[in-house]
Amino acid sequence: MTDKLSNYLDNVKTHLKFDSAVKHSVVQELCTHLEDKSQELKERGLGEEEAAKLATESFGSPQAIAQQIYQVHGQGTWQEAFFAAFPHFLIALLFASYYWQNIICLSITLIATVCVVIYGWWRGKPMWLFPWLGYYLLPVVLTGILLISLPQSWTWLAAIVYIPLAVFVLAYIVKQTASRDWLYVSLLLVPLPVAFSWLLILGTGNEFLASNIQLAQLSVNIPWVVFSFLALAVLTVFFMRVRQRWCKALTLLLSAIVILVSVALAGGGNIPLWGWSVLALFLFALSTPAWLEFRS
Amino acid sequence: MNYERELLKGNTDSLLLWLINCQPTYGYQIIKELEARSNGYFRFKEGTLYPALHRLEKDKLIRGRWQKLPSGQERRYYYMTKKGQRALDKKLATWRDFSTAVRTIIQPETI
Repeated sequence: MTDKLSNYLDNVKTHLKFDSAVKHSVVQELCTHLEDKSQELKERGLGEEEAAKLATESFGSPQAIAQQIYQVHGQGTWQEAFFAAFPHFLIALLFASYYWQNIICLSITLIATVCVVIYGWWRGKPMWLFPWLGYYLLPVVLTGILLISLPQSWTWLAAIVYIPLAVFVLAYIVKQTASRDWLYVSLLLVPLPVAFSWLLILGTGNEFLASNIQLAQLSVNIPWVVFSFLALAVLTVFFMRVRQRWCKALTLLLSAIVILVSVALAGGGNIPLWGWSVLALFLFALSTPAWLEFRS
Repeated sequence: MNYERELLKGNTDSLLLWLINCQPTYGYQIIKELEARSNGYFRFKEGTLYPALHRLEKDKLIRGRWQKLPSGQERRYYYMTKKGQRALDKKLATWRDFSTAVRTIIQPETI
C-alpha cells in the first residue's frame, strides 16, 4: 500500500470515534475498496502514486466520510438511550421515594451498577455504558469526601493514601474512555458533580454518618435533587438519540448548566468555598470535551 | 442537477437493496454494477455508499460478513436479511404505484 493510501486511512481512523473493533472493521473495508480502485486505475495505465491520488480523491475528505459513518453508528436506539438514562432515573426514584437512606435499596443499586459496568466494559464499551460507569465511580469520590469530613487522623489518611489512589483510578478510567471518544468522558463525569453537590448541601462526613441531617432542609431540597437527576436522564436520552456530534456536545454543555443552576438555587449557601472549588473543577472537566468538540 | 441528486438520494436504499438481493456483494462491486447497469448514469461516490450501507446494516436490512478470498484478501460482503427483503418489496410496490401515477399524468408522447 502506498503512503498516500495509508495516510488517508490513518486520517479516517483519527476521526472515527468508535471502539477499536468497529473502527478496525470500517477502516479495513475502506482499505480493500481503495486498493481495488487503485489497482483498476493502474491497469488503465496510471502510475502507482497517481492511481492512489485519484482513488483517495474519489472518496472525498477523510473527515467527511468519518463523520457520515459516525452519524450512523453514533446514534443509539431508543432501547440503548433509555438504558443509558436508567441510572439517572433510578437515583431520582430513590430520592423521590426516600429509599436512598435504605441500606438494602442502596446495596441493590450498587451491585446492579457494578454488574452492568463489568458486562459493558467487556462487551466493547457500548455508548450506554458511560453514565453507569459514572455512578460506578461515585463511591470512590464519596468515600474521599467522607474521609475528609471525619476527625483529624482520618483526614490525614484521606490526604496521604486515599485521594492519590482515587485520582489514579479516575484518571485511568477517564484516559480509557477518552481514547474511545472524548465526549463520553463528559457523559461519564456528569453524575459526579451532581451527587457531590447534593451531599455537601444535605450534610457531609460525621453528620452524614450519624444520620444527623437536618430533615427540614432535606425535604425542601429533595424536589431539586429529583429534578436534577431527571434533567440528566432526559439530556442523556437526547445525547444518545442525536446523530451530529455538535448536538451531543451541546447537550453536555446544557447538563453542566442545569447542574450549576439547580445546585445554586436549591442550597448554594450551604456549600463551603472548597466545595464550590471542587464543583467548578468537575464542571470544567465536564465541559472541556464539549468545548474541544466545538473547536475541532 | 439538484433534482437528479434528490431523486438518487431518495432511491439509494432501493438500488442498494435490489443489488444485494440479486447476489451478496461488496462496496466496490456495487459501484461498478450500478454504473454498468445504468449505462454510466449512476456514478455513486464512495463517500455516499459506505454510510448508506452501514445505515442499512444498522437497521438490520442487510448483514455484512468478512469473507476470505482464495488470494488471501478479505472482503466485506453484504447479504440480504428477511427484514430487508420485506422492506425492498414494500419500496418496489410504492415505486410501481408512484411511477404509474406519474405516467398517467405526464404522458411521454405529449412531451
